[in-house]
Amino acid sequence: MKTTIERLIREGLVDAFWAYRSFRDCHFPWLFTQEDLHHLEPWRQTDVRFPIVKLLLASARENPEKTYGILVRGCEERGIEELFKWNQLKRERVVILGQACSKSLAAKCECRKPFPDRLQYGEAVAPVMESKKLRELEQMTMESLHEWWLAHLNRCIRCFGCRDVCPVCFCIECSLEHTDLIPGTILPPDASFHLLRAIHMGGRCIDCGLCEEICPAHIPLRSLHKKVNGLVRETFGYTPGDGNKSPFTLLGDVSELPSLSRRT
Amino acid sequence: MKHWRDGCPDNAHPLYREKRCTLKATPFEPRILAFLCNWCSYAGADLAGVSRLQYPHNIRVIRVMCSGSVSPHHLLRAFRKGADGVLVAGCHIGDCHYLKGNYMTLKRVRFMEEMLRFAGFDPARLRLEWISAAEGIRFAEVVREFTATVKGLGPMPSFDAVPRAFAMG
Repeated sequence: MKTTIERLIREGLVDAFWAYRSFRDCHFPWLFTQEDLHHLEPWRQTDVRFPIVKLLLASARENPEKTYGILVRGCEERGIEELFKWNQLKRERVVILGQACSKSLAAKCECRKPFPDRLQYGEAVAPVMESKKLRELEQMTMESLHEWWLAHLNRCIRCFGCRDVCPVCFCIECSLEHTDLIPGTILPPDASFHLLRAIHMGGRCIDCGLCEEICPAHIPLRSLHKKVNGLVRETFGYTPGDGNKSPFTLLGDVSELPSLSRRT
Repeated sequence: MKHWRDGCPDNAHPLYREKRCTLKATPFEPRILAFLCNWCSYAGADLAGVSRLQYPHNIRVIRVMCSGSVSPHHLLRAFRKGADGVLVAGCHIGDCHYLKGNYMTLKRVRFMEEMLRFAGFDPARLRLEWISAAEGIRFAEVVREFTATVKGLGPMPSFDAVPRAFAMG
């Protein structure tokens, strides 16, 4: 990692590079530039994840004419791909290096693709295709589901952490802050807060699970978003983060529409 | 004709409330919000009106320029504000005034239904229908049918959180 990033920056292929450095064994993201190349370290596998795509997006918005490099995991690569599709980042302004996740992290995340396509560091491990929790939830009756969700959403403190950490929440103005749409005076916010966010995630959520990881109230948001992803896959045959064009950005053809009759 | 506020003690006028206390409880009357598109369904509803067709008074209509302009925000807000059912009606596929506006509606409402199901609300509370300007009879029929369905389902469960004791289990 050290030599590749150093070469990229020295040759002027990127202006700065988002990678990691460590301090007393603590790993954290860092924007490497010409000046601090001496801080670069050899690559090592870690299980700590950061919203590095969000950091990239912020710095790219600040300096749109600069080229950035980034070291990504599988989920982060999908996030960047999705940002390309929604015209938030320019393809020619981002250089991607990939690192694989460890087996334990893939199992913990229940990740469907724990390695990026552009894999440079580490070995790709087997994906985990099924979510245990989601299967449990799908077998519950409607009344108990309602109770279960409200019981969990009850703990929400409206910190907006789930939105702030999400790599594909790129809107400048957010409807969650709009008090006409979501009541702004009650705490915890009612179920429409998280339902609305889940609906906005349709066709965008790349299933990284950072929202659940960061949630101070441990709300199982991942299951909600996994369900959204499942629905998008079923209805439109589309997985966010792959190379195809998003059906949410297209009007499409009659043949691509879901059927009018409701599934029972 | 019965006043639409009769079924809902929250919004009722104090006088109405007093009357409710003395008389026996009124049966559940659902409140249904309908988003009708300007070009087809609203005209359809109009036709039902001028044809003097009878349909339940539980429906409140909001006219929108296209059913495609009804966002999940609106649907969720309607349910949160106490609508027991929401009807979205637009032009038939291929007849949209804006060519493909109702494609959006179809995708959105299907998606929304599944989300409601997953969150524990009955997806039958949300209904999508294509009603053209000539289908006044069909409009009355749909409203009758939908009102009966929602009446069977009972009041909309709350969006508000349950007591904290539940949350730990």
